[in-house]
Amino acid sequence: MDAVAATPRRPLPPPRVREAPTAAPNALIVEREDVSPSVARLRIRPDDGVPPFKPGQYFAVGIEVEGRPLQRPYSTASAAGETDALEFLLRLVPHGELTPRLWALRAGDRVRLGRPKGLFVPDAGDERRAVYVATGTGIAPLLSMLTSALPETDLAPATRRPVVVHGVALPRDLAYRDRLEALDRAGRIRYVPAASRPADPLCAGWAGPTGRVDGLLAGILADAGATPDATVAFICGNPGMTDAAGAALRAWGLPEEAVRSEAYWTTGAGGASDSPIEPAA
Amino acid sequence: MAYVINASCVDHSDQACVQVCPVDCIWGDLAVDRKLYVDPDACIECGSCESACPNGAIMPAKKLRGAAVDFAWIDATWFSDPDAARQVVDELVPAA
Repeated sequence: MDAVAATPRRPLPPPRVREAPTAAPNALIVEREDVSPSVARLRIRPDDGVPPFKPGQYFAVGIEVEGRPLQRPYSTASAAGETDALEFLLRLVPHGELTPRLWALRAGDRVRLGRPKGLFVPDAGDERRAVYVATGTGIAPLLSMLTSALPETDLAPATRRPVVVHGVALPRDLAYRDRLEALDRAGRIRYVPAASRPADPLCAGWAGPTGRVDGLLAGILADAGATPDATVAFICGNPGMTDAAGAALRAWGLPEEAVRSEAYWTTGAGGASDSPIEPAA
Repeated sequence: MAYVINASCVDHSDQACVQVCPVDCIWGDLAVDRKLYVDPDACIECGSCESACPNGAIMPAKKLRGAAVDFAWIDATWFSDPDAARQVVDELVPAA
């Protein structure tokens, strides 16, 4: 028995008089692409247009279930200034409360989209070299930050290029791989995808780095010519990774204020949740 | 089990929690209220507010102990009877 139930000091509150949260759909899914059997990319167009947002922020995405809104926050992968539709990565959590329902949605279906929220955003005017570290669907807010900050045609010196490290269990889960590889080939970023299950048959042919991203960071940063006094890191993914990668970056020399992270949560109810807050890899 | 805003919020109401709550479930009338309140019917238990609060005032209801347990009642009650909720806040944390 928990503490609240054990000490009923006062009578239960009377019935609500305040307006209940609405679940009325206000946005249209305009595109859906399955990245892998468990990761999908959704583009969602709000009826009233895309609201102003900052790179790295999240929006509640939800549907109505039994008359009540069921929603979870999802970080947008879209760059700030996007006017057509917002892009999100959805990871299927088979026994999750919401994602199996969202997973069943297709282009043409409607959802409830909340307002932009969150403080995991880059500081305006920060000129330091950015290092983005993600696992799984945690790449979404980091892509938003990267593409919001990346000049249209800049060919930066190798020691100034943003570094993107993306860890996944299997290469097929590397959302935005083509886009990031193209930016790397163009000399605009340094992109390092890594697979953590090299022994899996689905990893056959993988020639890139293997293992957990936190263990790879020091080598990647040395190879990229990064220096701790001119670098800021943004980390997003499951809590174990964000903690471990943060510790690795601090050990490499980054000051505390230069290590920014957002962990995707798991609920206290005993099950994995599924959004920025879901286990990302 | 929803999150609850406890006595550490009283007379601070920083609102960092409001900036991060993805479902807009944290309310308060800053002209009248001495703290903010989490709507337990709307809270999705993401914990964003707990991480954002500079006063360490937010925690899951199941972690409340002692007199702080009443803050679960206070938060839930504010959404239907705000005056009753405010009265109990004043009882637990008398105004200076």
